[in-house]
Amino acid sequence: MSEAWADRLKFVWPPVLIALVFLGAWQLLVVSRDIKPFVLPAPTLIAENFFGGLDLMWGTAYYTGTTALLGLVFGTIAGLVMALLAQRFIVVNNLITPLAAGLAAVPIIALTPILNNMFSITSRTPRVLVTAIIVFFPMLVNVTRGLVQVQPVQLELMRSMNAQPRTVLRSLRVPNAIPFFFTGMKVAAPLAVIAALVAEYFGGPQQGLGSRIASSAANTAYGRAWAYVVAAIITGLVFYLIVVAVERWTTPWTGRTRSA
Amino acid sequence: MRNIARSRWTRVASLAAVGVLALSACGGSDSSSETATEETATDTATEETEAEDAASGEECTELTPASLQLQWFVQAQFAGYYAAKDLGFYEAACIDVTILEGGVDIVPQTVLAQGGADFAISWVPKALASIEQGAGIVDVAQVFQRSGTLQVSWADSGITTPADFAGKKIGNWGFGNEYEIFAALGEEGIDPASGVELVQQQFDMLALLNREIDAAQAMTYNEYAQLLEAVNPDTGELYQPEDFNVINYNDYGVGMLQDAIWASRDRLADADYQDLTERFVTASFEGWIYCRDNPQECADIVTANGSQLGASHQLWMMNEINKLVWPSPNGIGIVDANDWDSTVFVSINTPNLEGATVITEVPPADSYTNQFAEAANAALQAKGLNTTGDGFSPITVELKEGGA
Repeated sequence: MSEAWADRLKFVWPPVLIALVFLGAWQLLVVSRDIKPFVLPAPTLIAENFFGGLDLMWGTAYYTGTTALLGLVFGTIAGLVMALLAQRFIVVNNLITPLAAGLAAVPIIALTPILNNMFSITSRTPRVLVTAIIVFFPMLVNVTRGLVQVQPVQLELMRSMNAQPRTVLRSLRVPNAIPFFFTGMKVAAPLAVIAALVAEYFGGPQQGLGSRIASSAANTAYGRAWAYVVAAIITGLVFYLIVVAVERWTTPWTGRTRSA
Repeated sequence: MRNIARSRWTRVASLAAVGVLALSACGGSDSSSETATEETATDTATEETEAEDAASGEECTELTPASLQLQWFVQAQFAGYYAAKDLGFYEAACIDVTILEGGVDIVPQTVLAQGGADFAISWVPKALASIEQGAGIVDVAQVFQRSGTLQVSWADSGITTPADFAGKKIGNWGFGNEYEIFAALGEEGIDPASGVELVQQQFDMLALLNREIDAAQAMTYNEYAQLLEAVNPDTGELYQPEDFNVINYNDYGVGMLQDAIWASRDRLADADYQDLTERFVTASFEGWIYCRDNPQECADIVTANGSQLGASHQLWMMNEINKLVWPSPNGIGIVDANDWDSTVFVSINTPNLEGATVITEVPPADSYTNQFAEAANAALQAKGLNTTGDGFSPITVELKEGGA
């Protein structure tokens, strides 16, 4: 146990050290050059704002995190359903894939104002939709790939045994797709936080990270703005780490490449 | 909107890069500014005589380049500056002015403080916030004497005073434009976090027109006109003023000073820059006086400079802007100490949704000066111009659909 921890520590301390050196150099630069906060706030000022307003940080991150989570759930479900359909019906595949690629290419900044006007700007709905759309594509692509790229040998074996498509799906395709699913989730989860945050730039309720970063920056309160950025980074990391944890818990046989 | 939003996001996303930039920028700026100072020091003697020549209307051998950073796109809100440029008032003052357009993302006063422009237009409370964060800037001309912020609701909404905001969906723009609303809520004892539902508007009036919010923030000169440029589906005609209730924040003692010309505090120690400031302010005032007397021409100048909305909208805006500038009882651009103190008071005492105030302490007394505006008023009066606008009366503007 202790050895495992020591082993893990080996991987932890280099990035921590680099972060500390970076922050130290930043602080030194601001102090020694007497750089004003409106140009570049010192790490201590950001920390002051962050820890001085922990309740606010938590509440703000919670609001945006909820939007991101809802979008992630809906986007993932949509991606899974479409991937299953695309795998089963070639017509759907031909239809969906280019459409999905096109949808993924629509910039958030074009999409959000339209959705804000289609649905009520006072609700969370347009932001959840934006997040879901952003999440949809990596999920669809990854899961489709996992469902389709099965070993031909296994497929032939099952066919020779007269297995129904449903059986092939359940005992071959789905298990094969699980690692792909988690790869998609690892991309989609932090992306969901970013999408939810950016969607807040276009109006609507003002208690989220995106609104407050923009508002603080516009008020030349960069210390506060960066404190919210820190909260956003933490939120994104939490989303990512939860996916990693779920992956290890549900499929302990995959994704362990680092120890090799 | 797209470009603005993208650039805003880009900035947040590249916060880390800023650190690196600042590193290199700081390394370089010291030495370059030193050489610049040395150069100006040697040139001072010759330039001073040149400047005096220009000021007295005599020979002007070389125009002094100067840039002005606006806080929004070209529109009649800035007509005075465009008029002064296009009608040659700046050139007559021996200045070659470059007008830099702004956007929701541009913070003009920090652009100025970092040397990106020679002068900037900014609302006073936002500039006060920047001053508290270390920006060395001075209000040298308070062009707008009163606030142009309204809260507009439907006539049938029953919202006629800020007290009626309680429990309603109240639109605002955020980005530091929202403090009058918070101040009004505070005056009425309404908690901004729980007493109302605050909603950030997009920069159009659709949320109000669709009745998604109960009251929308609007400038007299812009968004309010956009409402009156929209077609009422019930009548097929444009909406009329009687369709809306309008709350003017000036009437509730929470109006804050808005557009002012800001100059660099550090550079004001330099005689050349002082002289440039005086010439710039004087020529700008001349532009504003021209626009007061010739609103149609100024609206045309703005439209010709590429305004986003059309001619009828710009004329409306010109007329409304004139109402914010004129009359100026103490002379155009003179800071009224009471108005300034009131703006500072609201800035210190009004917490927003996050519990943050615009500033935490009274800004330094030299954050504004009337030195340049007074000199400009005297010079313009000597030319026979009316610098107070007493007897000013606005025109009547007919709006067209979509501001065409």
